[in-house]
Amino acid sequence: MEFKDAITGKNINKKFGKFELDIPEIHIPEGFATAFIGENGAGKTTLLNILAGLRQDNKGEVRYFENSLSIDDNGVRERIGYSGTKHHLLPHWTGEQVKDLSKMLFDNFDEKKFEEICKAINIDDSVFGPNGKMIAKLSDGNKMKLSLATVFARSTDMLILDEPASPLDPLMRDLLSDMLRSYLADGNGQRTVVFSTHNISDMENVTDYIYVIDDGKILEHGFVTDIKEKYVLVKGDGKADKKIKDLMINFHENSFGYEGIVLSDKMDSFAGMNLSFETPGLFQISVALLKMNSKLRMPEM
Amino acid sequence: MKLLHNSGTPIYKQIAEQLKEDILSGKIKEGEYLPSIRGLAQDLRISVITTMKAYEELANEGLVTAAQGKGFYVNSQDTELLKEQHIRKVEENLTLAIKASKVAGLTDEELIDTLKMLIDIEKE
Repeated sequence: MEFKDAITGKNINKKFGKFELDIPEIHIPEGFATAFIGENGAGKTTLLNILAGLRQDNKGEVRYFENSLSIDDNGVRERIGYSGTKHHLLPHWTGEQVKDLSKMLFDNFDEKKFEEICKAINIDDSVFGPNGKMIAKLSDGNKMKLSLATVFARSTDMLILDEPASPLDPLMRDLLSDMLRSYLADGNGQRTVVFSTHNISDMENVTDYIYVIDDGKILEHGFVTDIKEKYVLVKGDGKADKKIKDLMINFHENSFGYEGIVLSDKMDSFAGMNLSFETPGLFQISVALLKMNSKLRMPEM
Repeated sequence: MKLLHNSGTPIYKQIAEQLKEDILSGKIKEGEYLPSIRGLAQDLRISVITTMKAYEELANEGLVTAAQGKGFYVNSQDTELLKEQHIRKVEENLTLAIKASKVAGLTDEELIDTLKMLIDIEKE
């Protein structure tokens, strides 16, 4: 499927000691929600920070929106909302200060909308008012909700959210998905969302495009519908022979049978075998891809 | 619209099927626009790409047309034609079933009973 780029990145490179983020090319489709999926330490946050213009000590070029603008061009930062997991809201600030700062930094910050959102998503209100508490006293969930409120209270064209769902409870995650879909619907194809997650099952219903990232590199990317057609979940009884095993990207076996993810275009190799085939979920696909490279293993129990 | 998330039928297919029924039954009329892709995604609480794929499927079947920047509208005139095409498809498939039933040695009554039974199962 063809799409316009909301962000185009080329030759992005950043080294920290042994770790290297190396992204020859990245395209974030305009009008859709794109998810970065990967293990802890895969480079998702570094990449998001580069895309959000928070980090500029990297190599490469990043361009934004319809006229290939630079992050420092007039008005570009104003059009992007960012929320992160690190303390980009300083811990000793009160909720009141967060609000005042947002007002000062962004012309498109709507104070009334901010207050409405805070009420609607039930943010602990002890941080507001003249004697408000420091936000360091808030739970991780409330901190994230406050950060999201500042972002959604602005009229923007793009949201870049680093692990927005992780600290949230299931109800709030569900609500966040609704808020993101509504953000995209209001934009009528001109608003874009980019977020990272290691909990893709929770966000699958608001994910249009994925980048699977591992060890600083892109392992797979594409529209979710295409990716789901590219892979098949194969299940069989008894023991798998070597031929089947070799075709599988990941492989699980127990005393009853086995299963694994396989490329759909290899399906012919399974003709005539007594196997069942299913469309895998995003979680299964990303786990399979990540497992190929992962250093994780089951400890002795 | 009723969507089953674990039915084995992809969500986009379910949406396409239900819209197709609405179009063929005249519930959505010729020339009318389908809900916006992102609006429908919001209402159904699914991803944008899923509704987009459903609409593309309908467009491929000639039921709707994409108007640049305006969305998808239901095609005029050919609804009757499409209905006929679908009836022909039903006839073709039933003919195949009749042939298969001969091979299996079913009587006409048994074949009709089987069809009735399958209709009842579908309804559930």
